[in-house]
Amino acid sequence: MRPMLAPRILFIGLGGLCLLATWLSLALGPVSLPLLDTLRAGLHLAGLPLSGQGLEQAEMILGQIRLPRTLLGLAVGAVLALAGVAMQGLFRNPLADPGLVGVSSGAALGAAVAIVCGSALGGLPSFLEPYLLSACAFLGGLAVTALVYRLGRKDGQTSVAVMLLAGVALTALASSAVGLFTYLADDATLRTLTFWNLGSLNGASYQRLWPLLLIALGVALWLPRRAQALNALLLGESEARHLGIEVERLKRELVLCTALGVGAAVAAAGLIGFVGLVVPHLVRQVAGPDHRVLLPASLLAGASLVLFADLIARMALAPAELPIGIVTAFLGAPFFLYLLVRGRP
Amino acid sequence: MLRVDNLQVVRGRETVLSGVSLALQAGEVLGVLGPNGAGKSTLLGALCGELTAAEGDVFLHERPLAQWSGPERARRLAVLPQVSTLGFAFRVEDVVGMGRLPHGSGLVRDAEIITAALQAADAAHLRDRSYLALSGGERQRVHLARVLAQLWPGDGGVTLLLDEPTSALDPLHQHTTLQAVRDFADRGAAVLVILHDLNLAARYCDRILLLQNGRPYALDTPQRVLQPEGVKAVFGLDVLVQPHPERGHPLIIAR
Amino acid sequence: MRLSARVIGFTAAMLFHPWALAVETLPQHWVSAGGALTEWVVAMGGEGKLVGVDTTSQHPDSVKALHSIGYQRALSAEGILSLAPRPDILIGTEEMGPPPVLQQIRAAGVGVEMFDSKPELPTLQANLLHLGRLLGDEAHAGQLFDDYRQQLARHQAWVRQAEAQHPAPGVILMLGHMGAKPLVGGPGTVADWMITQAGGHNLATQPGYKNFSTEVLAALDPQVIVFADRTLSGNAAIAALLKDNPALANTRAVKDKRIVQVDPTLLVGGLGPRLPASLGSLSQAFYPDAKPVQ
Repeated sequence: MRPMLAPRILFIGLGGLCLLATWLSLALGPVSLPLLDTLRAGLHLAGLPLSGQGLEQAEMILGQIRLPRTLLGLAVGAVLALAGVAMQGLFRNPLADPGLVGVSSGAALGAAVAIVCGSALGGLPSFLEPYLLSACAFLGGLAVTALVYRLGRKDGQTSVAVMLLAGVALTALASSAVGLFTYLADDATLRTLTFWNLGSLNGASYQRLWPLLLIALGVALWLPRRAQALNALLLGESEARHLGIEVERLKRELVLCTALGVGAAVAAAGLIGFVGLVVPHLVRQVAGPDHRVLLPASLLAGASLVLFADLIARMALAPAELPIGIVTAFLGAPFFLYLLVRGRP
Repeated sequence: MLRVDNLQVVRGRETVLSGVSLALQAGEVLGVLGPNGAGKSTLLGALCGELTAAEGDVFLHERPLAQWSGPERARRLAVLPQVSTLGFAFRVEDVVGMGRLPHGSGLVRDAEIITAALQAADAAHLRDRSYLALSGGERQRVHLARVLAQLWPGDGGVTLLLDEPTSALDPLHQHTTLQAVRDFADRGAAVLVILHDLNLAARYCDRILLLQNGRPYALDTPQRVLQPEGVKAVFGLDVLVQPHPERGHPLIIAR
Repeated sequence: MRLSARVIGFTAAMLFHPWALAVETLPQHWVSAGGALTEWVVAMGGEGKLVGVDTTSQHPDSVKALHSIGYQRALSAEGILSLAPRPDILIGTEEMGPPPVLQQIRAAGVGVEMFDSKPELPTLQANLLHLGRLLGDEAHAGQLFDDYRQQLARHQAWVRQAEAQHPAPGVILMLGHMGAKPLVGGPGTVADWMITQAGGHNLATQPGYKNFSTEVLAALDPQVIVFADRTLSGNAAIAALLKDNPALANTRAVKDKRIVQVDPTLLVGGLGPRLPASLGSLSQAFYPDAKPVQ
């Protein structure tokens, strides 16, 4: 049997990785700030009375641009990875992805409606626009997931198999609807839609960030409490029931956490793929399927991955920016293929 | 312990089980036999609450099964299904450990119980292996250890339901498993086991329920139930029945 | 924030002559996010002030050597702030974005000026005067606009003459990418403006750029096809267009070989300075029998 990493070592390693990613995300960027300036700016923002030349610029870059962006990356990475674990537990399949319940395509549809109808209304006042887009994306994700869940329920029981098929069908439907909106859009709106679909942490601001942070915190605190129940669910639904677990309630919680978490993440940052699929899978290879370890470890790994990907997105073509969805796909897909080729232990 | 009167289970328009009344006693092993489609798994499903009975409530310790809360029930009643679809590489130790979920007994006590359960299921040497690397028979023994761990030590009025626990096992392990089940019952548990091998049932069961087309054909000791006429009527098989030379229980020999 | 130094500086500046004050506060380091705008800045002699341009700014060739800030709708605040020397103004059309990034740029003390991209002369005039103010040379801007208007007026006169003798041809403008999936320009686009100015009749009635099926295109049966391809040019582009849309082969335009190419960068970001010159070749294609445009 392949030797697995002891949980303690794993958490130290991942925790260190996450701290490193956070540090790099704050310290590096297209504007090259001297390290000392960054440190002083950070301390000043934290409340220490400091002053000096160049401090204002550093504070502005750090406080207004990099810090919200880093927080956004941490939250998005953590919540997408946790949702991936939840879905892989719900469907009892390591190839499951949060998108299976339709939340990503629903959010894309909501965003498309907002983008196209927003421009049709003659362009909303610009201060309203970002909130409208996020709100519509979030509601779209929730609506489609609710529909998938509802379709899977019969006689008080939720059939995971039916949900899977319903998710596939609704995702196709939502994607076609987005296609229709794409057609109705003019060239400019079309571009906005495309870029939104590619995902980006660009333009992160504290006002748009706090709903996601709250939800991410909620999901991160809630799911690990259900770790043992998730383990039992992997035995099978009846087996879990025989162990005394309220399986229907657990399934509902998993779907809800995914819908809220991924919906908020997509609303804030667009579609970022592969994190929900690859991160839990990778962590499971190294740490085993026990959710007591898998959940916190995936949280750290997901957050780190998104921050590293964002670093590449920001720096590779500076002063221009790559959409982060492209970077995660480029990192995630080959790694995934490598895992498949290598085979299971 | 576990009791049901005049159980009836309906699926769609078809009545798949009817007229079954039984009461499991502490310390006894009750075997359920019958040809395919006789309703054995349906019976087990109704007894553990998976299937809803159209008639006849199931009582666990004189309380209707539906009134028991999940963890409460899980501490008194465990079910070992015929097949497991676990597809993740847990350590065997962790799989057995899941049996302790309904209890709040703490890590130390749990570890002791896991060891004892693995011992009883003859799976102690598999402890650190990955579940996915095991053979079908080994996996079955791991799950047996799990349900034993769930009800350990077996006294205090617990009930164990097993659905064909020997189907994937080699002859030696068929016997060691049923012996472990027997030992568990001797400690005070009530056990119901679905078997398809008549001789195993004759050897290890205190009573046998013979089902035919969803109805009870007989419910009595192996000596009385496993007679040539009964076996011919239910299974359509011509047999001779002789006492086992060393142990005395019925030995069913096909003619 | 050090208030005292700034107060002293401000008071000192106020003591100077208004002209000197104005020169001090004119933006010196420009970033442009819009092809046509960049061209106008260069036309007004402001090329030396440009430190960065977006991907749609392709003319003149010299601006391609400047740092690229990426696509105008996906700007990066830190990216723009990292340009050296540090920019003090960002100009672009209303397509610029995303809005939170513009806010961040403004918060960093960089001015953000939005220009309307409607393809109409009054809009162009307002834009040019605005640019002129920012460059400190309104007179030049005014003159550029007058020249522009005169060029167009001359061209209009020619078109009216030609129209008197020949009917306006039915035209379609297709914007493509290696010949595939071309978009057709309808009312409200620069494409439509060009066709109308050149004396053609735009057969597309849907506003904006839209996909038309080749059946519809064949049914519209344009007499002239104006074609802009983002990657190919010359005969290769035309060949790719016809290969990908075989139904076009039956249109009058293809049969009479009346296919004209235009530079796709002309079509982005409002009216640009190179448009009047390109009208000549268009009009020639529309009215081949009329006497040549000067």
